[in-house]
Amino acid sequence: MALGQPEASRRAVMTSAGVAGTGVILSAAPARALGKGKPSRYQGQKLLKKRERHLVSRFSYGVTPELASQVRAAGGARAWWERQLDPSAIADPFADQLQGWWPTLNESPQSMWAQDKMGMMRAFGVCQDYQRYVLMRRIYSNRQVLELMTEFWENHLNVPLNGEPCYLFRRAYGETLRAQAFGRYEDILFAAVTHPAMLVYLDNSNSTAEHPNENLGRELLELHSVGIGAYNEDHVKDAARILTGWRVDTQQGNKNPTWVASYIPGDHSVGPVNVMDFTDANADPDGRDLTRRFVGYLAHHPLTARRIVTKLVLKFVRDEVPPALVDRLAQVYLDNDTAIVPVLRALVASPEFAGSAGAKVRDATEDVVATWRVLGAQVRKPTGPESAANTLLWQADNLGLMPFMWPRPDGAPLVNDPWCTPSRMIASFDMHYSMSGSWWPTRAQGMVYRKPATWIPQMPMRLDELIDHLSQQLLHQHASPVLVKACCRAVGYDRNEKITRVHPVTAWGIPSLLTTILDSPDFFLR
Amino acid sequence: MTILENDCCEEYAALATSRRKLLLGALAAGTTTVIGDAVMGTASAAAGRKARGVLVVLSLRGAADGMSLVVPHGDPVYYEARPRIGIPKEQLLAADGFFGMHPALAPLMPLWSTGKLGWVHASGLPAPNRSHFSAMEALEDAAPGSETRTGWLNRLIGMPDGDASPLQAMNIGTGVPPAALAGPAPYMNASRVEDIRLAGAKTANDKRRRSLETLWGKQRTPLGDATRRAFSVVQTFERINRAPATNPNAVAYPKGDLGKAFGNAARIVRGDVGVEVITIDYGKWDMHSGLGDLSWGQMLENATEMSAAIAAFFADLGALGDQVTLVALSEFGRRVQENINMGLDHGYGNVMMVAGAGVKGGYYSKWPGLTNELDSDLLVTTDYRSVLAEVVAGRFGVSTASVFPGFVREPVGVMLGQ
Repeated sequence: MALGQPEASRRAVMTSAGVAGTGVILSAAPARALGKGKPSRYQGQKLLKKRERHLVSRFSYGVTPELASQVRAAGGARAWWERQLDPSAIADPFADQLQGWWPTLNESPQSMWAQDKMGMMRAFGVCQDYQRYVLMRRIYSNRQVLELMTEFWENHLNVPLNGEPCYLFRRAYGETLRAQAFGRYEDILFAAVTHPAMLVYLDNSNSTAEHPNENLGRELLELHSVGIGAYNEDHVKDAARILTGWRVDTQQGNKNPTWVASYIPGDHSVGPVNVMDFTDANADPDGRDLTRRFVGYLAHHPLTARRIVTKLVLKFVRDEVPPALVDRLAQVYLDNDTAIVPVLRALVASPEFAGSAGAKVRDATEDVVATWRVLGAQVRKPTGPESAANTLLWQADNLGLMPFMWPRPDGAPLVNDPWCTPSRMIASFDMHYSMSGSWWPTRAQGMVYRKPATWIPQMPMRLDELIDHLSQQLLHQHASPVLVKACCRAVGYDRNEKITRVHPVTAWGIPSLLTTILDSPDFFLR
Repeated sequence: MTILENDCCEEYAALATSRRKLLLGALAAGTTTVIGDAVMGTASAAAGRKARGVLVVLSLRGAADGMSLVVPHGDPVYYEARPRIGIPKEQLLAADGFFGMHPALAPLMPLWSTGKLGWVHASGLPAPNRSHFSAMEALEDAAPGSETRTGWLNRLIGMPDGDASPLQAMNIGTGVPPAALAGPAPYMNASRVEDIRLAGAKTANDKRRRSLETLWGKQRTPLGDATRRAFSVVQTFERINRAPATNPNAVAYPKGDLGKAFGNAARIVRGDVGVEVITIDYGKWDMHSGLGDLSWGQMLENATEMSAAIAAFFADLGALGDQVTLVALSEFGRRVQENINMGLDHGYGNVMMVAGAGVKGGYYSKWPGLTNELDSDLLVTTDYRSVLAEVVAGRFGVSTASVFPGFVREPVGVMLGQ
C-alpha cells in the first residue's frame, strides 16, 4: 500500500527513501563528457520506458514511483492495464474504507430527506461529501482505470450535484456506474436512464401519460445516444412517452414524499410510438420491457457508437479526433454488442494512441489529484469541515471545476482548451505552491506531508542531480535542461552546488524545487 | 539581470501585436488561435488601457420564464394558461396597460424610475430551439451558418480596435466560462479579484517569478500562451488588489454567489484596468417544476436575489455606473401553459433586460398574442441580436456587422440614439 493513511503507509516513504538511497549518482565528469554543459543526472529507481509511461499516465491519475513499481510487478504497462480491467482482482483496502469516512454516504434517501425537513439544510453538504469521496478514490485507489472509466461515465451521463433533490440518490448512481464501468453501453445507459437520480434530475419522476415531461426523453436522444439532427420533435415526444411510468415519489405536489422509486403502469402512456426507426405498438401498460428495447435500439445505433467512441478518443487520445480511429472503434463497439472493453483495448493498441503522448492537458480535478499523488500526501479521516479530506474539494473549485459540478446534462468538456487559460494557470501555480511547502492544507488539518529531507536521496549531492531525482519522482522522467535551469533560479544556486546536510537548500529550498517541477509544462500534461 | 516583469511585458506586448495581425488572418482561414514568433512591440498594451465602457452580461441559465419577470397582464390568455402560477395584475410593479414587473423585482425600481431600465419582450432566437445546449450555443455564438465557432463577446473584444489583452473581458465565477466568450481573443475567469496573483512571488524580481519565466518563456503551446498572459494580468491586477476591498458606498450585496459576483464586478470597474466586458452566470432557472407563485417557489427566490444583486451593484458604483450597461438574457423562454408540477416546460420567446448607461427605459415589445395549447409558446417578434446590436453600437461604437455577421438589425429603441 503506497498511498493512504499515514499510519498505513509510513513504510512507503521509508521504502522510497531506501530505494533512492541505493541509487548511484552518475558523476559529473561522465555527464559533462556526454555534452557540453549538460546537467548531471541521478540514477535511482529505474524509470518506465516512454511508451509505458504514456499508457500508465493516460490511464491513471498520475504516475508515482509506487505505481511504477506496481506496473513492473505486473510485467509491464500493457499487462498492468489488462489487470486493471478486472478490478475485483486488485486489492484496494484503503479506498474501500473511504466510504466510512463520511457518514452521509451511507444514509438512505428517506433519512436524508427527513433531516432536510427538520431544517438542517444539508443538501449541499451531502453533495460535497460525495465529491470528496470520489476525489479521494481517484487519489488513493489501486484501481486507477476503474476510477477513470467511472469518471468518464459519470460525466457522459451527468447528474450535477447542485443541491437539487437528485442528490438523495447521487452516490447510489455513481456506484451503479462504477459497477458497470467495464460493461456494455446498452446496460450502462439503461441503468442510468432508469436510475432515480436521473429520473429526478430530468423530471421523469413526475412524468405521466396525461402530462408527459420531455426533459429526459430529449436528453436521452440528444446527449446520451444519437445526438441532434437524427430525430425530430415528434420523436422527442414519443421518447418521453416511452419513459412514462418510471416514477419516484418526490416532493412535487406532495407534502410527505417517500422518495420510493417504482414503476407505475397506470402512468405509462400506451399507444403506438415512433422514434427514428424504432416503432412499437406499445399496448402493454407495463412499459419496462419497451424501455429496455428502446434503450437497446439507441445504444446499438451507429450514431451512438460514433458518439461514445469519439468521447473516448477525446478523453484518452487527443482533441483532434482522427476520423479513421473513430471509424474503427465504432465498428468494434457495434461488433461487440456495445461492450466497452474491446473498444478500449483497440484504442490502446492503436498507433493513434501511441502517437498521442503529451497531447492531453490535465483538467482542474486531474491537476489536484495528481499533485496529491506525486507529493505522496497522506491524509487522516476528517474530523470537521476544515479537515484536509474536506477542503480538498475547494482546491478543485479554485482551479475551475469540482467533480460533478458541470451544471448541465451534457457533462464537462473533455478537450484541452478550457484548461489553457491565464486563470487556470494562476490557480494551478497557487495550489502547487501551497502543497509543495506544506502550507495549505496544513498538518493541523490532518495532512501528513513527506518531510523535506526525505526528498534528498543522499548527501552530499550536486543540485542538478537532486533536481533530476525530484523530476523522476514527480514527473517520472529525467529533468530537462530548462527544468534544471528553472529550479536553479528558484533556489538561487548554480547547478553544481554541493547540497549537504547543512546547506540552505536542505533547510528551506525543497518546497521551491517541488513547486517549480509541479509548475513545469510537463506536469500539466497527462 | 533579468527582470521578469519587463520580460513579461515585452513578451506580452509582442504577443498582443502579433495576435492582432494574425487574428484577422486566422479568422479568415477558419482556424483558431495562432501565435507567431516574437514580434517587436511596446509594453503599453499590457498596462491595461482605459475601457471604452463596460458591458455586463448576466446569463440566466436554464431558460428563465420571461412572462413571470415581466407579466403580460393585458393578454387574457396569460391568466387562462396559468391559473396557479399567474401573477395577479394588482400585485405587479410599474404596471402599464399591458405589462408589469414581478413584485420581487422591487429593488430595481430606482433604475426604472430614472429611466435606466428597459425590458424587451417577445425577444429571442430567430427560430425555436428547445435544447438548452444548442440554444445556448446558438444564442452565444450569434453567428448562424458561420464556421468560426466564436462567441459574440469574443468577437467584440477581438476586433482590430480592441487591445487583445486578456483583461478586456472577464468572467466572474468558477467553471468553464460562457460560450459567448469562447474564441481566440483571450479573457479572464476568476471568482474573486484577490485570486489573481502569483502565489509565492513577493516582489517583481524574485526567484519564483524568474524560475516561472524560465519554465514557460519559450513554450509555444496553448498552455504557454495562457501562462505568459497570466503573468501580464497579475501585474495589472496588482493595482486593484492594492485598493481596499470594501466598497466606498458601503452597499450590502445579497448573500450568495450572485451578490459576490456583482461585488467583484464593481471592484473591477472601480479598478479601471481596461475591462470592458464582464460576464456573470446565474443558474437555477430551469423550472420544469416548483416555479411557484408569490408565496413560494424558485421564481420568487431568483427574482429576489437577482434584483437585489443588480440594485446593489449600481448603488455601489455610484457615478461610475454611468459607464456601465447591463444586459440580462436567457437561452430561451418557457411555455405559455403551466404544467402539473407548478412549473413550465421549454418554450421559445422571452424577455431581455437592459439597464444602466445609455438605456432608454420602458417596456418594448411587438406583442404577438398568446395561445393556450399544451405546446403554445410565446412567439419571437424581436431578434435578440437587434437588442444586443443596439447595445454594442450605442456603447462601443463598433460595427455590429463584425459582431453579428450577416445580421441586419431592426430598430428596437431601447438604447438612446439608436
